Amino acid sequence: MWEWWRKNKPLLLGGLLLLVALLWYSVNLRQQDETNFLESVVLRVTGPVQAGFDRMIGGTADVWGHYLYLVDTAEDNRHLIEVNRSLRAVLTQSDEVRLENERLRLLLDFKEAQKIATLPARVIAEDASSWFRTVMIDKGSDQGVTEGMPVVVAEGVVGRVVRSSPRFSRVLLITDASSAIASLLQDNRARGICRGQGDQMVFDFVLRREEVKVGDRVVTSGMGGVFPKGLVIGNVKSVDRQEFGLFQAIEVEPSVDFSHLEEILVLLRSPQ
Amino acid sequence: MNRTLIYLAMAGIAVVLQTTLLPLVLPGDYKPDLLLILVIYLGLHEEPQHGVPMVYLLGCCYDGVAGSFPGLNGFLLLGIFLAVRGIVTRVNTESSPLLLMLVIAGTVLQSAMVAFALDFFSQTAHIWLLMVWQLPVQLLSNFVAAFVLLRLTVWLQRTFLPRRNLPGLRKLDRRYES
Repeated sequence: MWEWWRKNKPLLLGGLLLLVALLWYSVNLRQQDETNFLESVVLRVTGPVQAGFDRMIGGTADVWGHYLYLVDTAEDNRHLIEVNRSLRAVLTQSDEVRLENERLRLLLDFKEAQKIATLPARVIAEDASSWFRTVMIDKGSDQGVTEGMPVVVAEGVVGRVVRSSPRFSRVLLITDASSAIASLLQDNRARGICRGQGDQMVFDFVLRREEVKVGDRVVTSGMGGVFPKGLVIGNVKSVDRQEFGLFQAIEVEPSVDFSHLEEILVLLRSPQ
Repeated sequence: MNRTLIYLAMAGIAVVLQTTLLPLVLPGDYKPDLLLILVIYLGLHEEPQHGVPMVYLLGCCYDGVAGSFPGLNGFLLLGIFLAVRGIVTRVNTESSPLLLMLVIAGTVLQSAMVAFALDFFSQTAHIWLLMVWQLPVQLLSNFVAAFVLLRLTVWLQRTFLPRRNLPGLRKLDRRYES
């Protein structure tokens, strides 16, 4: 027995450690909606670095883009570039300001239309892993952001806050595989659950007898207790109504472009 | 203690790169998992009594910036570390292609463990379907990142610290391979 133990000790100990880690993960699933101490520390430490890096990258990309642009054009028409350089820089800058203005105005109109108090925030970082879809924002519990709060933009639902520290929070996007939202079709009020599938979403549990067309708008039903009723999620991309079975297979195209997420709104008061 | 701090600093740099710079320069939502590469390196060069607590701590910290399941990354990284330790006496750890092969195997193992942990324990529906589509691109990005890091690290050591014997780096240099 002792010999067998000595021979298999590394394997047994390794297996035991792995089992303990798995059990710990399993136990933690019950507190999945709360930010633990270590996560809070990580958010506090990485948040300022990520925010600084985000600003630095933005500035560098701007300078780099302008530099490359000028070099390329100088090869074709050096003289004209010299004459117009300052003018172009001003134009580019004003274009950027105009675009930002448009985005913020859209957000402001949306904010004014909402009856719930909102807090604007900036996206400063993405999820570190390719398997999950979360983003970090530059507002936290000091500004009133807590776990479970819905996050939106003018185009529709972005997700909900899953972790928060005093100055930074993490938002689980609706396209994440672990995200599920109680939803309904705007036209015929058919109910279902919208689940994330990476870049797309699926609309589950819609009965076969419901009439669903490509292009139909999917909105939040307000049933889950997280999102207010009537926020746009996306549009039906495809419908597969098989001959048998209770439900239809529906794909949904999110209305929000998650690859260009910059400014968002946190709905500070939960609908409940 | 110094080594632990260096590894923690490297993990910190990896996390900042993965969350801020790499999403901007790489298309889609695919980014190399630099922490996975670091853990495989640790598996090759650190003893379990030092490596296990550090890798688990790294995993738990990683939960703060990746996914929404506390304890998941600790479980994943620990599993990968132990798997590498399990084969380390049977392979030539001084071979740099081994690290690249282990990165590929580690990526497959990681995705299998994610699918197992999420599909069996959480309410996440059919994540393995999603992962099957993403895996080839993830494999490629991890492989390329490991290759670039390997060359870059050896070059940096030769250029800036030629007399220092940083743990593992000499072994990864092609000149010392048979």
